Amino acid sequence: MITIEGVSKIYSTSSVALRDVSLHIKAGEFVSVIGQSGSGKTTLTRLLIAEENPSKGKIKIGDWDISKIKTNEIPFLRRQIGMIFQDYKLLPQKTVFENVAFALEVAGEKSKRIRHVVPQLLEIVGLSDRKDRYPFQLSGGEQQRVAIARSLAHRPKIIVADEPTGNLDTINTEEIIQILKKINEFGTTILLLTHNREVVNALRRRVITLHNGQIALDQEAGKYIL
Amino acid sequence: MINLHRVTKFAFQDITRNFGLSFMTVLILILMLLSVNALWSVKIITKEAVGLIKDQVNVSIYFAASAGDKNVGEIEKYVKAFPEVVDVQTQTSDQVLASFKQRHALSKDVLSALDELNANPFGPTMVIKTREPQDYKKIIQALSVPEYKDLIEAKSFDEHESAIEKIQNITNRTENIVAGLVILFAAISFLIVFNTVRAAIHTQKVEIGIKRLVGASNWFIRGPYLIESFIFSVISLLATIGVIYFTLRFVDQYLSAVFPSGFSLTNYYNSHILYVFGLQFLSVLVLTVVSSALAMRRQLKV
Repeated sequence: MITIEGVSKIYSTSSVALRDVSLHIKAGEFVSVIGQSGSGKTTLTRLLIAEENPSKGKIKIGDWDISKIKTNEIPFLRRQIGMIFQDYKLLPQKTVFENVAFALEVAGEKSKRIRHVVPQLLEIVGLSDRKDRYPFQLSGGEQQRVAIARSLAHRPKIIVADEPTGNLDTINTEEIIQILKKINEFGTTILLLTHNREVVNALRRRVITLHNGQIALDQEAGKYIL
Repeated sequence: MINLHRVTKFAFQDITRNFGLSFMTVLILILMLLSVNALWSVKIITKEAVGLIKDQVNVSIYFAASAGDKNVGEIEKYVKAFPEVVDVQTQTSDQVLASFKQRHALSKDVLSALDELNANPFGPTMVIKTREPQDYKKIIQALSVPEYKDLIEAKSFDEHESAIEKIQNITNRTENIVAGLVILFAAISFLIVFNTVRAAIHTQKVEIGIKRLVGASNWFIRGPYLIESFIFSVISLLATIGVIYFTLRFVDQYLSAVFPSGFSLTNYYNSHILYVFGLQFLSVLVLTVVSSALAMRRQLKV
């Protein structure tokens, strides 16, 4: 599903974010990527959604080499990868329904289909009764669930979750992880970037540890080791 | 078509949900348009006033009593041939005498003195009007040739020369000052509007980033701002037109007292409505669109 071959991201000789990273993530895997701040986790995310291009190496999503992606192809890539962030990144002037619908609207989906799909997505994350609220009227956990619903709008094959539980308490963290596991069970590949030891240990799934921009450990059913 | 409809919907949502900022942007555009129209009106009024004064200036040629009608007729033809000349009014010796008598009908001494002469002492006169005051010099020069020396007794241009030059100077200076003010004001307005639009977009920097992350194309991000620019231009222009016509109702009362010709700014705006407001609409639209485009340039880099 995701193939990274010898990827480096070099900003300057004294600032190297990733060094010769190679890995392969199979379709339907649930992979946690851990590492200290500055280890290269965020750079990896930015490369996956083409916010930046690698200095060296290749990144392939399926058969699509996105290392030298054209500017006008980027929106199409981003519609195929669901993104979830620590700060939720919801549009503050739009309601819950509109936030989820927006992801479909930008792709030119018909209004009838949007009216049909969005309630289903809100049902999955348990927010059907909050559809007319604005983000500031929701708790952190609820906002993150809206972000998850939005990330599912295009039925992506991959979801990249960058510290999705970073701002949440234990109960909400557990709820979010359960939703991600449920999504994974339907066959979606999940790439979870996290600092949360308990979450990683409880998952018992593949764990990739980054250190100084390199892969330090890659364990199947691994644990949080730093 | 779906996309255009959605982009328009987002534009209206942005306007209503950021009402304060939208209101300020429109207000600044209205103030800019009102200032430009005020300067424009001053220019029009000045032009009308100068035109009125110019109309009252002319050159009179006084012919000798001995100058025959034939000679005067030839000179009239000669003068009329100049493209600068717009009107020539000639009076024969008899007409000059008759109007003299009419003017002095109550002065018996003057009339009896005239009777003593037993002959008409007046020669024909010619009143010439040209397009521009500076053209008079050319006409006078053309008539100051040896062949006409014995026929023309006097020319009144010398008396008007300084007045004409003054009017010319005032006209030129006013036009330069108004043009300078319009340019200065347009530049200041551009900077204010540009920064207002830029501030509006800067406050939505995070939103633009989120739109990019969910896969919005540049058109989806830029479109609402372009449509907002169009809506702001229409609203500000309509409001400006309303304020202008309301104000003109009062201004025209004063103008009608000053200009006996019946000049009114309302009539001017009515007869130039498409040109004046069309030009202003295009300028405001270009200004807001360019401001938006420049302000978004950085945010649109994916």
